[in-house]
Amino acid sequence: MSHTVLVCDDAIFMRTMISDILAQAGFEIVGEAETGSQAVEKYRQLKPDLVTMDIVMPDMGGIDAVREIVKQDPDAKILMCSAMGQQALVVEAIQAGAKDFVVKPFQPSRVLEAVQRVLG
Amino acid sequence: MDLSQYAELFLAESREHLSACNQLLLDWERTPANSAPVGGLFRAVHTVKGMAATMGYGRVTDIAHRTENLLDLLRRGSRPATDELLQLLFRARDALEHAVELSVVGREDELEVVEVVADLESAAALLAGPERAAPAPPTATAVVAPAAPGGGRLVQVTLRAEAPLKGGRALLALKRAQALGAVQGVTPPQAGFESDDFDGRFSFRLDSSATAADIERAVRAAGDVEHVSVGGGGEERRAAAPRGGAAAATAAEATPEKSRHIRVDLRRLDELMDLIGELVTVRGRLNELAAARRDPAVDDVAIQISRLSADLQAGIIQARMTPVWQVFDRFPRLVRDLARELDKQVAFRVEGKEIELDRAILDELGDPLLHLLRNAVDHGIETPAERRRGGKPPEGEIVLAAVRERASVAISVSDDGRGIDRARILERARREGLVDPHAEALSDDQLLRVLARPGFSTAEAVTSVSGRGVGIDVAVTRIRALGGSIDIRTETGKGTSFVLRLPVTLAIVRALIAGVGRERYALPLTYVAETVEFGVQPTTIVEGREAIVLRNRVVPLVHLRRMLGVSGDAPRRCPIIVLEMGERTSGIVVDGMLGQQEIVVKGFDPPQGTLPVFSGATIMGDGIPALILDAGGLV
Repeated sequence: MSHTVLVCDDAIFMRTMISDILAQAGFEIVGEAETGSQAVEKYRQLKPDLVTMDIVMPDMGGIDAVREIVKQDPDAKILMCSAMGQQALVVEAIQAGAKDFVVKPFQPSRVLEAVQRVLG
Repeated sequence: MDLSQYAELFLAESREHLSACNQLLLDWERTPANSAPVGGLFRAVHTVKGMAATMGYGRVTDIAHRTENLLDLLRRGSRPATDELLQLLFRARDALEHAVELSVVGREDELEVVEVVADLESAAALLAGPERAAPAPPTATAVVAPAAPGGGRLVQVTLRAEAPLKGGRALLALKRAQALGAVQGVTPPQAGFESDDFDGRFSFRLDSSATAADIERAVRAAGDVEHVSVGGGGEERRAAAPRGGAAAATAAEATPEKSRHIRVDLRRLDELMDLIGELVTVRGRLNELAAARRDPAVDDVAIQISRLSADLQAGIIQARMTPVWQVFDRFPRLVRDLARELDKQVAFRVEGKEIELDRAILDELGDPLLHLLRNAVDHGIETPAERRRGGKPPEGEIVLAAVRERASVAISVSDDGRGIDRARILERARREGLVDPHAEALSDDQLLRVLARPGFSTAEAVTSVSGRGVGIDVAVTRIRALGGSIDIRTETGKGTSFVLRLPVTLAIVRALIAGVGRERYALPLTYVAETVEFGVQPTTIVEGREAIVLRNRVVPLVHLRRMLGVSGDAPRRCPIIVLEMGERTSGIVVDGMLGQQEIVVKGFDPPQGTLPVFSGATIMGDGIPALILDAGGLV
């Protein structure tokens, strides 16, 4: 059984790329979200094994979404997708319950390493 | 990983975000005290940055990064916009757009970004204030020697030099350690992890009964760990840093995404459209054959095929429909820039943004609308002083509006400016022999015909007739080529309005098939109002032209037979096809009506000397081509 993933990013470009990387590695992309609130909603519906979460999104940001999701499911496995220069935000996300992070630009191998650590 | 497959997606999405930036900047400029647009700007630029970095477009990333920095400072400070800041942000946005476009075609090297980058930097430094102007002294220098006293074993960790966002990584390592026991004496203090100066070396005390090897394994599991030493019992372990092998998961087949939207290359839709076009042609032939054969079974199949292909066609056309904002959205910025340059005050309003048109038509509209808007700002709207003298508010208004009409969409560009000086145009038109030398006045229609003459927009015209000719010939030609029309209405002192009427889709239209002599001609139904019979309706002469009167309206007649130079006599009684385009109307006299059908429009370049009344050609059901009459050229 492959692991299921919910991909959250406001850019289709990013969602496509993350989905491609993970799908090629055998993961099943079960959903996508464009905003934090969609992410929370879809997590509730889909109960994925893994969530990739952009930090900056409209409506509800990624960190607030992590807080909401962890409130629902303390074992949620959330991988933050951050950019260079977002140190403080990444720290905040981890304190909120994110399990790991990757930094854009993504290298597929780094993404998959992080995913393994989170699911490990 | 092959990134080129993502380039188009990158381009499309970056354009969207940058277009949104324009809108947000304009909003902010309008109400400088309200800094709400800054959040949206920040997110848009941030998204572009992330995508560009992923694509490896260094210069886009660089500009975006610095713009984002500045926006971040603005966002946190909730500062009002100053003119200077807005100009800089507009420039940065333009630079980004340029950088995006060049990067995608591999010409990133040609970019000159030094100046805008420097300006962004100094603006950010100014905003950050003196406390941030100088880099804070590195906080991590004191860390190497662990100061933390207390119980537990001392764990010292060094992260890999190339690890990004080391603070986050360090925190993950601490969390891993916490799973084994209580962590204390973290050095530097955890708050230091948030600093960009954190160099990746930290230590803590862990109260745990786990073995040194287990502790090390746990810490390494956080990733990006170069070195771990676990002290306490004097032992220090150092293990080879396992470089993470890629992808543990075995490659299974990629499962389809469950997203509800996909992006489709427009060319694919064009190809599909071409195929459907052929299908429609073949369907026409099948219908003809079925009709000739009178076999109910064949009829049945023909009817089913007709229905299915009609549905298919409607589906594809729907997929090609694009809201006009995709073109309109760049105009607010253009009007603003132009008004600024000319020291005019203009309020620009856009209406009917959600109205949809075939993508192929919409793509062609940018230029004509640009010309018309430019004219409106440059020549239509007066200077504030002139407006005041005329008893008008100093701020002029330009409205760009789209409205759905029956089978067409009307797009208007209206200004409340000075209007076109008819007397001057008339004088000039007389001198150039464009109108009857005794003509007393120009109707709106004649006015447009004169203005749209390519030779008319000369330098003299620019000064003496307020340059109304500029670009109008371009606009008229382009719109006519799309099977549309342009109307003009102008009133001295009150303003000018251009109305463009366009078919909703280009590719397949319903047309009347008319016979003249031995040829068949197709006339798109878009502008057909009705048909009446010639020889039954009394005719009259109005302004030297033969016409009929329909419900108190004078409809001038065009005898297609005569116009096309077909020899022989017309039947005594024959149909008149009444065309209506805005307020203009005309009756086309043909030999006979051969029915209605869907035709697939193929554009064509008419040979020199062809009458300007054809807009394209189509293949009829029997495989023989027919010309498509251009309603715009006939009324």
